[in-house]
Amino acid sequence: MSVDIQLSRATSPRLHPQSMRRRLLSAARPGNAGIVYALAILVAVFTISSAAKGGSNYLSAVNIGNVLDQSTSAGILVPFMTVVLISGRFDLSVGSVGGFAAVVSLDVVDQYGIWAAAVLAVGCGLGFGLINGVIVEYLKVNPFVVTLGTMTAVSGLTLVVTGGNSVMATQPGAIAQMNALSSAFLTANLTLILAIVVLAYALLLAFRRTRTDGAGNWTPVLVAAAAGAALAVVAFTVPVTVHWTRPVWYMLLLTLVVWVVLRFTVVGRRLYAVGGNPEAARLSGIAVRRYRLVAFMLSGAAAGFVGLLFAARLSAVNPDALSGLELTVIAGAILGGTSLFGGSGSVLLSLVGTVFLYAIADGFNILNLGSNYQDLIQGMILIAAAATYTAKARTRRTTTRAADKPPVMSAGAETAVTAEGSPADPISEDSAGNR
Amino acid sequence: MPVTTQAQRVLEFDNITKVYPNGTRALDGVSFGIRTGSVHGLVGANGAGKSTLIKIGVGALSADSGLIKWRGHPVRWGRPNDATRAGVAAMHQTVPLVPALTVIENVMLAATGWRRLPATAHRDFEQLQARMDYYVDPDAHVSDLPVGQRQMVAILQALASGADLVVMDEPTASLARTEREVVFRTIRQLAANGTAFLYVSHFLDEVLDLTDELTVMRDGKIVDYGPTSSFRESRLAQGIAGRVLTGAAPSAVERAHETSEVLLNVANLSSPRGLTGINLSVRRGEIVGLAGLLGSGRSELLHAIFGSDAARSGTVEVAGRPVPPSPRAAMRAGIALVPEERLLQGLIAESEIWRNVTLAHLPALSFARIFPSRAKEWSSTVNAIHSLGIKVSSPDSLVSELSGGNAQKVLFAKWLLTQAEIYLFDEPCHGIDVGAKEDVVALIRSLAESGKAVIIADSELRELLALSTRILVLHRGRIVAERNSRETSEHELLLLSSGIQGA
Repeated sequence: MSVDIQLSRATSPRLHPQSMRRRLLSAARPGNAGIVYALAILVAVFTISSAAKGGSNYLSAVNIGNVLDQSTSAGILVPFMTVVLISGRFDLSVGSVGGFAAVVSLDVVDQYGIWAAAVLAVGCGLGFGLINGVIVEYLKVNPFVVTLGTMTAVSGLTLVVTGGNSVMATQPGAIAQMNALSSAFLTANLTLILAIVVLAYALLLAFRRTRTDGAGNWTPVLVAAAAGAALAVVAFTVPVTVHWTRPVWYMLLLTLVVWVVLRFTVVGRRLYAVGGNPEAARLSGIAVRRYRLVAFMLSGAAAGFVGLLFAARLSAVNPDALSGLELTVIAGAILGGTSLFGGSGSVLLSLVGTVFLYAIADGFNILNLGSNYQDLIQGMILIAAAATYTAKARTRRTTTRAADKPPVMSAGAETAVTAEGSPADPISEDSAGNR
Repeated sequence: MPVTTQAQRVLEFDNITKVYPNGTRALDGVSFGIRTGSVHGLVGANGAGKSTLIKIGVGALSADSGLIKWRGHPVRWGRPNDATRAGVAAMHQTVPLVPALTVIENVMLAATGWRRLPATAHRDFEQLQARMDYYVDPDAHVSDLPVGQRQMVAILQALASGADLVVMDEPTASLARTEREVVFRTIRQLAANGTAFLYVSHFLDEVLDLTDELTVMRDGKIVDYGPTSSFRESRLAQGIAGRVLTGAAPSAVERAHETSEVLLNVANLSSPRGLTGINLSVRRGEIVGLAGLLGSGRSELLHAIFGSDAARSGTVEVAGRPVPPSPRAAMRAGIALVPEERLLQGLIAESEIWRNVTLAHLPALSFARIFPSRAKEWSSTVNAIHSLGIKVSSPDSLVSELSGGNAQKVLFAKWLLTQAEIYLFDEPCHGIDVGAKEDVVALIRSLAESGKAVIIADSELRELLALSTRILVLHRGRIVAERNSRETSEHELLLLSSGIQGA
C-alpha cells in the first residue's frame, strides 16, 4: 500500500489464504464437481447393468480407452471452447473449420508430407479464428451471428474445394505417417506419472518455503516427498500402465496446458476478468479485445488440429466431416459448469463433461439400447445440468445478495474465522472451487 | 414513540425481524408507521437494514416474524404484485427500466390490457408530466437517456400508478439539482393530496428539507424517531453513525503546492463524447475538483485523461511525457481512475475481494511476473482491508455481498495498490454511508498530502468544496471557470455550472 493510513474500525480477517487441502476439499464438493460424480454414477450404472445382461465389461481397460479415443475430437476442442466461453464469447464454427482442415490436409499430404499438412491444417484454423475474432471484436458484430456465418461459409468452402466428393490420401508413405500421428497407441505408466506429479508438487512446496521467511512448516514437504518416492517404487515394481491412442494423450496434454495457464498465470486471471466484467477489465488496463481475439484464434487452431487428426485416422474424409461437432463441444463445456455469460468455467470439468457425453454413447452401444434414445437422453441431461447450475447460482444469490446486508464481521464473529482458515462462509468456497 | 391512531397510518411495521440464511440479523424488532399524506424519511448507514425493511414493505421479501399492517389491517404480501395491488409503488436504488423500450412504454409498463400502448397512454403521460412540471420525450428509447433522466423516468413510473404509498430508495443519487427540485416539488404536492412517501436517502440535507417525520436505523434497529423539525444534522449524523462526527475540516489550501512540480498537464483535450478544448494542469499535492451539472462532461473528462476514451484528441502529459490514449499507457504513466459505477466499471461482482484488489497490479505480485503468488495477493488484500477499514469476514467474500461503502473501499484498495501518482476519482462518495464517506475523504486527503496529484469529479458541491484545493467548473464540455475553493461558494459554483457567467 502506498498510503498507509489507519482508518477507523479495522477488522481482522484471516491472515492466510485457504490451505491447499481445504481448496481441494472445496473443489471436490458436489456443488462444484457435480459432473465428476455424475460420470462416476453413470459408469457404475453401465458397468452393473452390462454385467447383469452378461455383456462385455464396461469398465474394462479396452473400453475406457475406446471411450477416451472417441472423445478426442470434441475433447481437444473443449478446453479452447471453454477459454472462448470464459472470455464471454461463443464459437459455432469449430466443426466446419475442422472439416475444412481435414480436407485440406488430405489434399496436400500425398505430395508434401505430414508436416506440411499439419502446418496447413492448423494454419487454416488459426486464420478462420482470426477472421472470427476480428469481425467480432473490431467490427463489433454479435459472436453468435458471426460464427454461425463462418460455420456455414466454411462448410460451403469445403464443398467448393472438394466439389462434393470425398478426399483421400493414396501414397502409402503418407498414410503410414498419418496412422502414426493418429492411430498409434502409446503405453504409459500411470503410477510413474503420478509419482512425478507428487514429487514436483513437493519441490514446489519446498521452493515456496524457501521464498517465504523459511520459518514455514516443512512437514507437508516431507510428506509429499515421501509419498512421491513410495509411488515411484510402486511404479517400477507393480506398474499400472494404460494403453491409449495418441490423440487421447494430445487431449490430456492440451487440457493440462490450458488448465495450468488459466489456473496459475496472470493471463488466466485476466481472462476470467475479461469475461466477468469486460468494462472493469478494460479500465484495469487489460487488452480485452486482444484476449478475446486470441481466444478465437486458439479455438480455430484447435479445430484445425482436430481436423488433421480426423483426416489422419481415416486417410479419407467426406466434405461434411465433423459437422455438428461444435454442439457436442459446447454441450460438454456446459455440462462442466462453464457459464455462457463468461467469467467462470473450468477446462478440467469441461473435459469431464465431454467424456461424459461419449460415455453415454458408448454405454448405449454396449447395452444394445440403440442410438435412437441416445440423443433424447443426452439432451435431457444437458438441460438438467444447466438447470442445476442455474438453480445453484440463484440460491447463492438470494441467500447472500441481500443488499444493505450488515457486515458479517463483528467482534463476535471474529473468532469464527481465525487460524487455519475455518470456513468463512460456504459461498466464497463455492466460487473458489469453480476456478 | 408517539402514539398515533391506527386510521392515520397507511403502512405500519410491527416488531419486524428478519434473519438471512447466512445468519445475518438484518432487522431486529423494528416497529414504525407511515402516516397518510406524510413524507417519512428513513436514514441509516449502509448495512443498517433500510433496504431489507423496504423490501419487506413492498412484498419483495418476507419477514421472519412481526406484522405488517396496511391501513390498520394485518396483511401478508408474498409477492411484490400483492403490495402493488394494495397501493404501494416502489422506486429502487438501481433503476429497473427496460432499456429497449421507450420512455412512455416504461412508465406505463404496469398498465393492464392487451395493447402494447393503450390509447390513453400519451394523454396520461402528458398529465403526469404537467403535474410534475418535468418534460422528457415520451418516445425516446430509455437506452439513449443519460443516467439522470433514466432516474426521472423511474420516478415517473412510480408515480404513474397513483399509489397511496410511494417508497423511494435513494431517488436523487444521480440527479442534478434542478431535477432533484422537480422531484421534491412533486413529492410535496402529492403528499399534500394524501399520498404517503417513505423516503430513503444518504443526503441528510435533503432528508431534513423534505420530510415530515424521520426514522433513524442502525444495525437493524430503530435508534431515533421524531418529527423532522426536532432534528438537526448533528443529531441525525450521531444517530446514524453512533458516534460524534467531526465536520469536514477546511481543506489544506494553505499548503504551498503552488511551487510543487506540475505532474499532469492536459492540453486542448477534446472528445466526440462531449469535450471541447480542455486545458488543465495538476501539481503534486493538489486536489482539483470538477464541478458541473449532470452531462457537463465530468466523467467524460476523467475517461479522456485516463485514455479509456480512445477517441480523444489533444495531449495528456505526465511529468512532461506524452501519454497515448489507452488505459494501459495511462497506468504505466502512473494514472489511476476510480470510476463512478462501482459494479459496472470498477469491480467484478461475482469474484472474490482479493482477485478484485490485485487485478490492476497482478504482475508485480507474481513470480517472474507471470505466476500470481497467492500469498502476496492475500497479504496485499489483508493490508488493504486493515488500512481502509473494510468490513468483511474474509478476502474470499464475493464483492457482490458487500455494501456500497465497502465495495467502494475495495475499489480504492485496487487502485492504491498500483502505486499511482495521479488519481482520478469519479463520484467517490456516491451512494455510501456517512462513516464510509468520512474514511474516503480522509483517504483522498492523505493521498494529496503524500504528494500525489488528485482530480475529483463530484456532483455534491459541498463535498467538492471541502475536499478540493481548486475547482474547475465544467459546462457543456468546456471549462468555464476556475476558482480557488477558499474563495468560492456553493452558490457561486451552482450558478457557474448552470451557465451563468460572472456570478
